[in-house]
Amino acid sequence: MRNLLTIAAKDTRIMVRDRAALLVMLAMPLGLIFILGSALGNLGEGDSLDAEVAIVNDDTGETGQRFVDALTSAEEIDAVFNIHVRDDAGEVRTEVERGDLTAALVIPADLTDRIMRGEPAPLEVLQDPGSTVSAGVWAAVVRAGVAQASAQIVAGHTLAEALSTPPSAGPPPGADASGASAGVSHGYPGQAQELELDAVHVSELEVELEKEVSMISYYAAAMSGMFLLFGGMFGAFSFVRERREQTLARMISTPSSTAVIVGGKALGVMLIGALQFLVLLVGTRMLFQVDWGADVLAVVLVGFAEVLAAAGLAMALAALGKTERAIGGIAPAFIMLFAALGGAMIPAEQLPSWLLPAQVFSPVYWTIDSFLQLMQGGALVDVAPNIGAVAAIGIALLGFGAWRVRYE
Amino acid sequence: MSSIVEVRALTKRFNELVAVNEVSFSIEEGEVYGLLGPNGAGKTTTISMMSCLIEPTSGAIMVDGYDSVREPGALKAALGVVPQEVALYPTLTAAENLRFWGSMYGLRGDALKRAVADALELAGLADRAKERIEKYSGGMKRRINIAAGILHKPRVLLMDEPTVGIDPQSRNHILETVKDLNAAGMTVLYTSHYMEEVEYLCDRIAIMDHGAIIAEGTLNELRDVVGGMDVVAVKVAGATPEVLERVRAIEGVEGVESAEDALEVLTRSSGSIMGRLVSTLESEGAHVTSVSVTEPNLESVFLHLTGKSLRD
Repeated sequence: MRNLLTIAAKDTRIMVRDRAALLVMLAMPLGLIFILGSALGNLGEGDSLDAEVAIVNDDTGETGQRFVDALTSAEEIDAVFNIHVRDDAGEVRTEVERGDLTAALVIPADLTDRIMRGEPAPLEVLQDPGSTVSAGVWAAVVRAGVAQASAQIVAGHTLAEALSTPPSAGPPPGADASGASAGVSHGYPGQAQELELDAVHVSELEVELEKEVSMISYYAAAMSGMFLLFGGMFGAFSFVRERREQTLARMISTPSSTAVIVGGKALGVMLIGALQFLVLLVGTRMLFQVDWGADVLAVVLVGFAEVLAAAGLAMALAALGKTERAIGGIAPAFIMLFAALGGAMIPAEQLPSWLLPAQVFSPVYWTIDSFLQLMQGGALVDVAPNIGAVAAIGIALLGFGAWRVRYE
Repeated sequence: MSSIVEVRALTKRFNELVAVNEVSFSIEEGEVYGLLGPNGAGKTTTISMMSCLIEPTSGAIMVDGYDSVREPGALKAALGVVPQEVALYPTLTAAENLRFWGSMYGLRGDALKRAVADALELAGLADRAKERIEKYSGGMKRRINIAAGILHKPRVLLMDEPTVGIDPQSRNHILETVKDLNAAGMTVLYTSHYMEEVEYLCDRIAIMDHGAIIAEGTLNELRDVVGGMDVVAVKVAGATPEVLERVRAIEGVEGVESAEDALEVLTRSSGSIMGRLVSTLESEGAHVTSVSVTEPNLESVFLHLTGKSLRD
C-alpha cells in the first residue's frame, strides 16, 4: 500500500514539473471557459437575463391589473426583465415572433369573471423560440405567480361569501377554519391577496433564477468535464514513457506487485486530476464568479468520479497505444468524442436524436449534467446516479487497461 | 561455499524464437559471475527472468533460497537490479530518484536517508544530488543507475551491460564500484559483451551465444579451451571480405577476427603460418604494417567456439 502511494506521489511530482501538461490541463480550460463564456454568454452580469418582455392586459376586471402591478413593481423581477406594458396583443405577438421581445404575457378580457365563476382562466404566454432560457424563466414566473394568486382570489371570494352567511353554516367544505379566521381577522381578503401575491412572485422568481446557469458557468462545467479527461492522456503518456525508458521494468523488479504498480499509476492520475479540479474550481470562482452550487461535497464527488474515469482512460490508452505518438493520436479523438457526446461543445440536447443513446457511454455527459444540476440548486441525492455512472465507466476502463496493458 | 543463485534448465520462447535455451548455472556467495556474449545472445532475457520481469517458459530460478515463481516478492527483495538502460526519471533530481527507488524497496525514514547518502557517495555525486538527472552526463546517469540498484543492500546484484555507451573515466569508476561492492560481500552477476570488463571483474564466466551457454569456467579454465593456441595480430589496410576468406583457407588457421585495420588470427602454429599469412595478404592487395603474436583471451575463446567475433 505504501508503495502505491510512493508511485502516485512520484508521478504527481513529475507532472507538476511538466509545463506542457500544465498548459493543457490548466491554462487551456481556463482560457476556453473565458473565451466561450464571453462570446456566447453574459459574462459579469451575474444572474440577470436582461430580457425584453411585454404584458398586455385586456382584462376588464381588477384581477388583471393586480397581476400587472405585481409583476412590474417587484424589484427582483425588474432587475431581471425589462417589462413593457402594452395595449395591442397582435402587435406584441408580431414582435415576439420577430425576436424583438423575448416573451410576453397576454391577459384575456374575461380573466376576472372566469376566476370569480371558478372556471379555468387561460393566460397566454408568448415565447421567442430562440430565447428558450429567458422565455422559459418568464413563463415560469408568470405561471407560478398566477396559479397561486388565482387560488387565493378564489379562496378569498369563497370566504367572503361564507362570512356573509349565518355563523351556524360553518366553514366551507375543505377550508381550514383556523387559517380562515386568521385571514379574516386582519382585514378584508383583497388586501391579504395583494400581499400574498407579491410574496409569491418574489419567492418563485428566486427559485427559478437559481435554476438559470450563465454561459460562462455552463462552459466552466463543460470544460472541467472535458479537460479532467486530459489528465488521462498524460497518465497514459507517463505509463508508455516508463515502459520505454525501462523504469516500469525496474519497478516490476522491486518487491511491488503489478497490481500495486498499476494502482499507483492510476492513483497518480487521480491526484493530478484532483489538483487540476481544485485549480479549475477556485480559478473559475475567482476569475469568472462561477457558482458551482451549495453542495460542495457533491461537487467534489462528481469531480472525484471524473478523475477516476480519467485514471481508467489512462490505463485503457496505455493498453491501446504502444508509443506516446500513438496515444497522442488516439487520446484526443477519444476525449473529443466523449466531450461532443457529453455536451461540452454544444448543449447535449441539441445533438442529433440518433446520437443521444450513445451519451450514456460518455463520462463527460454525466459529469456536465451533474455540475449543471448542482449549479441549478441540486444536491448530492440528485446527482448520485450520475456519479455512479461516471465511476462505473472509470472502473470499466481501468479494468480493461489493467487486463490488456503490456509492461514490457 | 554455498550457491546463492541457482538457475536450472532455464528456457524462454517467444513464439518460434528460442531466446534462452536450457541455460543452467550457479553462483557462489561472494562471487562475481560474468555472462559474456554478443548482442542477442540471451543475456538480458536471462536477467529479465531472474528479476521476475518475464516468466520463464520452463526451468527454475532460485535466489537466496527463494523460488522465482512461488516467492517472487522475497526473491526480488534479495536482488538489486541495474538495467541496461538508464532507468531513472529525468525531471527528478538524483536524490529524488534514489529516494523513490529506496522507498520501493521498503526503506523509510532515517534508513532511507542514510541509504541515499551512502549511494550518492558511492556514485561520487553527493555534491550534485540536487541536480535533475536530465542535466547529468551519460556516465553520471550510469553511476546513479547503479546507485539506485544497491540502496537496499541486496545480497545479489544483477548488472546488465552497465557500461554501454559511456566515457572511459566513468567506465573505470563503474568497474571499481563493482569491485568495491563485491569486496563488501555482495554477490554480482555481471553481463557484458566487453571481454576486458569480464576478464577484469569476474571470478567465473559463462559464454553465451544463441541463447545457450557454450562454455563456463574461470578465466584460466576458459583459456585452456584454446590451449596451445596463439593469436597472431596483424595490422593491415585493405583487408576485404574476399581477402579474409583467403586467410581462413590457410592451413593451420583456426579462426579469423577482423576489426577496421586489424586482423586477429587464431592458430596452433604461429611460427609456420606467419610467412604465408603476410604473403597471402600482400598478394591480395592488402598492405601489412605490423605482425605480432599474443596470448589468447576470451575473444579468442569465443572465436574458437563460434567461429565469429564477439562484436559480430
